[in-house]
Amino acid sequence: MAKRLRGLSDQDSSDVVKEIRSHILDKAAMEGEVTPGSVASALADLGSPEELASQYLTDDLLSRAQVSGSPWLVLQSLFRWASLSFVGLSMLTFSVIGYFLAGSFALCALLKPIHAQTAGLWLLPDPEDTYSFSLWLGFSSPPAHGRELLGWWIVPLGLVFAMGLVLFTFHLGLWSIRKFWRPLRVA
Amino acid sequence: MTKKLPVELDGAEKWEVQLRKGSLELAVLASLWDGKLYGLEILRRLENDSDLTVAEGTVYPLLSRLKALGLIESEWVESDSGHPRKYYWLTSPGRQRALEMARIWRRFSASLSDLLGPLEKEKR
Repeated sequence: MAKRLRGLSDQDSSDVVKEIRSHILDKAAMEGEVTPGSVASALADLGSPEELASQYLTDDLLSRAQVSGSPWLVLQSLFRWASLSFVGLSMLTFSVIGYFLAGSFALCALLKPIHAQTAGLWLLPDPEDTYSFSLWLGFSSPPAHGRELLGWWIVPLGLVFAMGLVLFTFHLGLWSIRKFWRPLRVA
Repeated sequence: MTKKLPVELDGAEKWEVQLRKGSLELAVLASLWDGKLYGLEILRRLENDSDLTVAEGTVYPLLSRLKALGLIESEWVESDSGHPRKYYWLTSPGRQRALEMARIWRRFSASLSDLLGPLEKEKR
């Protein structure tokens, strides 16, 4: 059990093991003498160590994310949630896309002074006579027949948009965890 | 023509599980209202006073989470049984949370009871 609780602090991990041990002894003693059979029965009632440890890790992550409001902890929680349910996987996908887009806009804004002619938001014509947008970091030659839309405005607008997107993605993740994630099991 | 949907036989049971899940946090906080209890005592209190049978492996992570949220506190106490037990009690924010949740629960239950009145007559 202690091995499976990696992710908790040493203190928390040993506290959990001590409490589970105490529970098993109390439970086994309920029917009189503590025997290997009564201990085995108490262990079985607790469920598998993997599942129990997973619940501890999940709940620990969830409460720390809620209390601290740290984007990193929220993202970690989303990864765990994604491994447990489809809703979690969807929220993780949204978050990853959100952070990726925010990172791309921020990077584009920061690279504009270096790649003044090529970095920016470009409008590109495609063969089907429609248009698509492309964020160009400027490491290669400018897209053929494309038109840059924002010019130097990409620097302030890109940074503001990136910051807004990070905040939105973070709060959406935290809100969804609080609203939809129910890690508890009831018999 | 309206297509008749098949009746899901275990639908009510699934709903009951969700209801129990949703009420577990309130039930655990309420079980600690009168004083300190350790894990197994909380489980027994839930079973005896609320008919809420909880998977044993569930209550400890929940207690750990409630503690991290500052709603309960804990301490290890030596016992006559030869091993220490971890006792939990409500903190001041935990008492506030329990009162608030109980108020919401009662209000919701009362308003739903009005709606369910005709169903009770039908049963008789």
